[in-house]
Amino acid sequence: MGAFILRRTGVMILTALCLTFVVFFLTNLFPNLEKLAKTQGNARMSDAEVVSWLDRNGYGGPMILRYGEWLGVVPGWTREDPQTGEITGRCIDFGMDPADAPRFCGLLQGDLGYSTVSNDEVAHIIGGRLVLTGILMFWAFAIMVPAALLVGVLAGMREGSRLDRSLSTFSIASTATPEYVSGVVFIVLLASSTAGVSSTLSEWGWLGPDGWLGDRNTLFLGSARSAMDGGITFWNFTLPVVTIALYGMGYIARMTRASMAEVMTSQYIRTARLKGVSFRNIVLKHALRNALIAPFTVIMLQFPWLLTGVVIVETLFSYNGFGWTLVQAASNNDIELLLACSIVAVLVVLVTQLISDIGYVLLNPRIRIS
Amino acid sequence: MKDFANVQAEKGLTTHPVAEMYAREHKEGKLDRREFLVRTTALGVSAAAAYSLIGATPAAAQERAVPAEGGTLRIQTRVYAGKDPRVYDWSELGNLSRGIVEYLVEYNRDGSFSGVLLESWEANEDATQYTLRLRPGVTWNNGDAFTAEDVAANFVGWCDSTVEGNSMAARMGALVDPDTGQAREGGIEVVDDLTVRINFPSPEIALIPGMADYPSAVQHRDHIGEDPLEHGIGTGAYMLESIEVGISAVLVRNPDHTYWRDAYLDRIEFVDVGEDPANWFASAEADEVDMTYQTTGDFIDLFDGLGWERSEVTTAATYVLRMNQNNAPYDDVRVRQAVNLAVDPAVLLELGYSGLGTEAENHHVCPIHPEYAELPPLTFDPEAALALLQEAGAADHVFEITSLDDGFERDTADALGAMLRDAGFNVERVIIPGATYWNDWTSYPFSGTTWNHRELGVQILNLAYRSGVAWNEAAYSNPDFDALLDEASGIQDADARREIMAQIEQIMQDDAVINQPYWRSLFRHHKAGILNAEMHPKFEINVHYLGYAA
Repeated sequence: MGAFILRRTGVMILTALCLTFVVFFLTNLFPNLEKLAKTQGNARMSDAEVVSWLDRNGYGGPMILRYGEWLGVVPGWTREDPQTGEITGRCIDFGMDPADAPRFCGLLQGDLGYSTVSNDEVAHIIGGRLVLTGILMFWAFAIMVPAALLVGVLAGMREGSRLDRSLSTFSIASTATPEYVSGVVFIVLLASSTAGVSSTLSEWGWLGPDGWLGDRNTLFLGSARSAMDGGITFWNFTLPVVTIALYGMGYIARMTRASMAEVMTSQYIRTARLKGVSFRNIVLKHALRNALIAPFTVIMLQFPWLLTGVVIVETLFSYNGFGWTLVQAASNNDIELLLACSIVAVLVVLVTQLISDIGYVLLNPRIRIS
Repeated sequence: MKDFANVQAEKGLTTHPVAEMYAREHKEGKLDRREFLVRTTALGVSAAAAYSLIGATPAAAQERAVPAEGGTLRIQTRVYAGKDPRVYDWSELGNLSRGIVEYLVEYNRDGSFSGVLLESWEANEDATQYTLRLRPGVTWNNGDAFTAEDVAANFVGWCDSTVEGNSMAARMGALVDPDTGQAREGGIEVVDDLTVRINFPSPEIALIPGMADYPSAVQHRDHIGEDPLEHGIGTGAYMLESIEVGISAVLVRNPDHTYWRDAYLDRIEFVDVGEDPANWFASAEADEVDMTYQTTGDFIDLFDGLGWERSEVTTAATYVLRMNQNNAPYDDVRVRQAVNLAVDPAVLLELGYSGLGTEAENHHVCPIHPEYAELPPLTFDPEAALALLQEAGAADHVFEITSLDDGFERDTADALGAMLRDAGFNVERVIIPGATYWNDWTSYPFSGTTWNHRELGVQILNLAYRSGVAWNEAAYSNPDFDALLDEASGIQDADARREIMAQIEQIMQDDAVINQPYWRSLFRHHKAGILNAEMHPKFEINVHYLGYAA
């Protein structure tokens, strides 16, 4: 087991290295650097000004060396201004004496770098954003997993019944509807003052100044911004959570159903039945545990899927978490922020895989990791 | 009849010979009131004196309402990372830092200029020398007095064209020495503690408008070239409490600073919910903001529906669809003429901007500009357009029209594409998101650009169509045009300049430099009871004026 975890960690580091190099390579292509210079300098700079800006800000060296600087295996660049004699450099913070600055400042030294678009240390930014996304994901999982298992078990315990058919239809529909469709539909139906249910509720006086549902214009809020300052309420957080949860839910429910249906046809269930055990006890005591092995892996696989989901949902609902940050970093070619985002993504994917593999062994004694 | 000169002497109002000439022109009906105000106040005549020159009293609307003390206001706007004001490229940057660093002069909604850190200014007769008189009693929030040294240091900084992206250098015109790229020797003179004199080698009429624009924030003499959001030193009443780029910024009253006039709000929150107007609206419905930076297109009606107050201003802001003449076949004037013949601006105005503006005439001089000359109406003839295109041998050319992926920019370019298709042209549409669009905006072969309002017609022509200038997105180069523009830029008299302007406008139309469908009215919405939040022709928000009705 120890060797297995060690090997997995090695793979993880190698993957992170490859991925960050690809990201670094792509973000450092000249047109992207030009974009960076223009967002940082002035959107209307001329080509000569762009080159001079890039040179002044340490983007002039060979790409492989700069990747090394970011990793922390190559000393950070320094540059002396020919006119003022002022020394600037990668490792020299604003107002720091160049003599005190460390030679290396990269990932290995624990320095994630500087986000150009936010004018702040990457480590400052990404931490808070991850917490926000963590909260969103927690609630999405808290709704998605129990609901999906319930739907899956109910559908799978009597394969082909009317209940199975209707729940399956629902699961397929929900998993076939991507977030950018369901999110918009939810906003129109529930969070628009001119369309959907909110206008009707306002007419009835349930919403608005004296409404018993609150003095809002709309039933739910189409913007989750107010949830970020600690004020998570049912009304501002439901739509983003449900939008994410619904997409993953159908898929997990389908998996659970298949697994449950298979277990329900196995020999030991038939024996239990013949012995006169009640249907309720068969499902809860005998079938459920075995039926949950397959969905467990699927649930763990949902984490990486959710990462793509939050990109859309956070942008749609103006919630400034990890997904939103990724979009901002990509659209502004914020190199070091993007690199940090990719490391986080690799970590999330591989750690959840690791947990899923280990958990699988624990749940199913027949599987061994050697 | 009362003698105006005496009235002015009694009131202590100074005036200017050219301003008096404008006053005559106004009375003869050659200048409307707005043009009159723009031109006279640019010469240093105070708005009150300008009104007295034409025997009018300022309309009540022009007097700013006085809000109650205190309160918090939340403004929907983009929040960009701060930087050196000289390289500001968005009005939003100026709106945020305006609470900290102020301006010498401000441009008002009615087209006039008034002093902020300047008490008054005057120009000599041929507009080569400007005397700027500073407002006494203004202090920086670090305790230093605001003096002529500060102003001179800022002028030196503005003229430094070696700073990448310093757009103030272009606004300073001939004050920049082309050999050194720095301020001209003897151009900036400190007369005494509160007086600065600016000497131009040639007549310059755009200095005051240039000083009223958002990159011209006045910095402390020791902090030229630095980011005011970082050093925090300024004359304004506010200080930055927090900023998270792309998310929010908060200005609060600076408790340790005595501001030289009244400010009302305690706290202003700038809320960034991205570029999509749908998100702005969602944010307004969720009661996260109290006013918008701008409201566009279909959302104007939607915001009306929320019960918010609509504020409108007519401007010389516009959307220009231009062909870049470095790209074949757009170097052929017949191709460009064919495009203009095939397009009916009225249709583009209706489909692209919901009719919220007025038709333009492909020469980028607006009827509200003082020197605007009326030309014969444009012709719309799709059949002649196709014939001209075939004659140019470009009938098979695929017109690839690039625009932003959203809003009126996309709709207008779509409408243009549709009209060209109707006329028998081959058209392909390309849309690019806002985050990347502006990287190559000057070099797309055929694309649309939004241009903000400028106070004088010659200003925009100098910025965008003179041979070789940085923002010449059409790659237009015509020595005759440049020569006429040089001439027009030195003439103060509106009528005399208009004669040359007529020729310039004609050249722009004949050369089919741009397709310009309309002038935009700008809109903003705010909740009822918020004062001085009206839309401004240059999107300005001055946090010092904002407040709630008492």
